[in-house]
Amino acid sequence: MEFLDSILRAILPFEWANYEFMRSALLAVLLVTPLFGLIGTSVVNNKMSFFSDALGHSALTGIAIGVLLGIDHYMISMIGFALLFALLISGVLQHGNSSADTVIGVFSSIGLALGIVILSARGGFAKYSSYLIGDILTVQSEEILMLFVLLCAVVILWILFYNKFLLVTINPDMASGKNVRVNLIRHLFSIVVALTVMVSIKWVGILIINSLLVLPAAAARNLAKSARGSHFWAMGISLFSGISGLILSYYLGTVASGTIVLIAAAIFFLTFIWSLRKAGR
Amino acid sequence: MKRILTACLALLLILFGGCKKAPEKTGYTVVASFYPLYISALNLTQGIEGVRVINMAGQQAGCLHDYQLQNKDMKTLEEADLFIVNGAGMENFLRKVAEHLPGLTVADASEGYDLIDENPHIWVSPKGNEYQVRSIAAALKAGDPEHREQYEANEKAYLEKLEALCEEMHGRLDGLSNRNIVTMHEAFPYLAAEFSLKIVGVINREPDSYPSAREIAETIELVNELQVKALFAEPQYSASAADVIAQETGAKVYTLDPVVTGEDSPDAYLSAMRKNTDTLLEALG
Repeated sequence: MEFLDSILRAILPFEWANYEFMRSALLAVLLVTPLFGLIGTSVVNNKMSFFSDALGHSALTGIAIGVLLGIDHYMISMIGFALLFALLISGVLQHGNSSADTVIGVFSSIGLALGIVILSARGGFAKYSSYLIGDILTVQSEEILMLFVLLCAVVILWILFYNKFLLVTINPDMASGKNVRVNLIRHLFSIVVALTVMVSIKWVGILIINSLLVLPAAAARNLAKSARGSHFWAMGISLFSGISGLILSYYLGTVASGTIVLIAAAIFFLTFIWSLRKAGR
Repeated sequence: MKRILTACLALLLILFGGCKKAPEKTGYTVVASFYPLYISALNLTQGIEGVRVINMAGQQAGCLHDYQLQNKDMKTLEEADLFIVNGAGMENFLRKVAEHLPGLTVADASEGYDLIDENPHIWVSPKGNEYQVRSIAAALKAGDPEHREQYEANEKAYLEKLEALCEEMHGRLDGLSNRNIVTMHEAFPYLAAEFSLKIVGVINREPDSYPSAREIAETIELVNELQVKALFAEPQYSASAADVIAQETGAKVYTLDPVVTGEDSPDAYLSAMRKNTDTLLEALG
C-alpha cells in the first residue's frame, strides 16, 4: 500500500497529489469506477437499474440494523440486509404477478422508510448523512484493499460466466435449452450487484450510487458496436469521470461524488448527441 | 348513505370527544429543548415537589441544528407550562411551535447574551452556562412563584458549583504554552474565548456537512504551518475527516465534548467539563 502510494506521489507532480488523502481517494476511484462500469453494463442490459437503486436505498436500513445491534462496522449488517433484500425481490418477482418496477418500487420505499424511521428515532439522523452523499476523501488503506479484492473477484466471475450470462440476458429460453441454470445465474448476478453497492456505498453515497452505475453504461451503449465493446467503453468512461471528477472537485471545492456523477452525465449527453448525428447521416 | 354518515359522525365523536377532556393537570411541567438546558433545569428544580423536567429531544439527539420536530415533541409541549430553549438560532422549529401553541411560555436562555458570530453554543463555556442558568432560574421564578425561594436556593448552589468549576479550569489551563487548536465543528468559540485558546481552524465549517477536498487541504496546510498539535473531534459526530488530517500532519485527534449528549444526572455538565479540561491538558500540555 505504501509502495503504491509512493509511486503515485512520484509520478503525479500536481498540487493535489501532495496530500495522502487525495492519493488514497484516487486509488479508490481507480478501483471503484472500473467495477461500476463492468457491473453497470449488465445492469443496464438487463433493465435492472431500478433494482440497483432499490439496493442502494436498502443500505439505510442495513445501517439502522447495525446501529440497533450495536455493530461497529455497519458494512456487515448492510451486506447481510442487502443480500436478504435482493433475494426477497427476486423471490417476489418470480412468484407474484405484479410487474417488476412495482415490486422493486415497493421494496425500495420500504428499505428507505425503515432506515429513516429507525435512524431518526433518537433524533440523530445527521450522524449518518455522510452515507447519503458519500465520503471518498476519508477512505482508509484497508478499505482500498477490500475494494481491490472485490474488483478481482468480480473480474474472475466475469471471465468465467460472461458467455452464460450474456445468453441469459439476451435469450433466457435458449439459455435454459442449453442447460444453463438461468435462475442461478440471475441470483448470482443479484448477489454481485448487492455486494458491490454495499461495499462502495460509504464512499459514493446512497443518493448517487445508482447514477454512477447507470450513466457510464448508458453512455457506452451510444458508442459501442458490440456487447463486449460496451464493457470496455463503460469502464473507460467510468474511470475518466472518476479521475477528472475527483481532481476537479479539489480545485472547485465541490463534493467529489457529485462532481464525478455530473461529469458522467455530461459524457452521456455528448455520446447521445453523437449517436443521434450518426443515425441521422 | 345517511346511515353511513351518521355512523361516521358517531365514530368521530367517540374518537375525538374523549380527547377534549384532558386529565386534571397537577404540578408544574418544564420542558427543556435539549440536553445542556435540561441538565441546568434539573439542577434548578432539584428537590422541589410537583415540578417535573422533561428533555424534549432526548438524551442522544445532540445539537439541534437539523432537528426534526416529531409528533411526540408537540405532545410533550402541549403539556408544558414552560418551554426552555437555547435561542440564538439553535431551535429552527420555534416558529412552528409558536404557531401551534400560542399560549406556551417560552424562555430564551441566551437572550441578552453577547454572541460571538451568531454562534449558539453558549453553554460550552462555564461562564456562558452560568448566564443560561440565571436566565432559566428567572423564568422558573416568574412562571412558578410558589416555589420561588427553593429555586433561588438551587440557583445559588448550582452557580457556586459552576463558579468553582470555572476557577478550577482556569487554574489548570492558564499555564498552557501552546494554545492553537483545530476543532471539528463551530462548537467551541465561547470555551476558547474564556480560556484564551486560539481556534486556528474549523474542519467542518457548516454543521452536519462534510468538508470538501479543498477545505481539508487548507486545514492541513494550516496545521503544518502553525504546528498545531491537537485536533478536537466531538463524540457525537464521526471523526473521519479529523483522522485524515491527523494522518497527514502528525497532529493527534482528541475528543472534546460540547455536552449535548450524556447521562441523566445533575452533575453531568460538571463532570463533562472536567473531562474536557483533562483532555485539553493532555493535548496541549
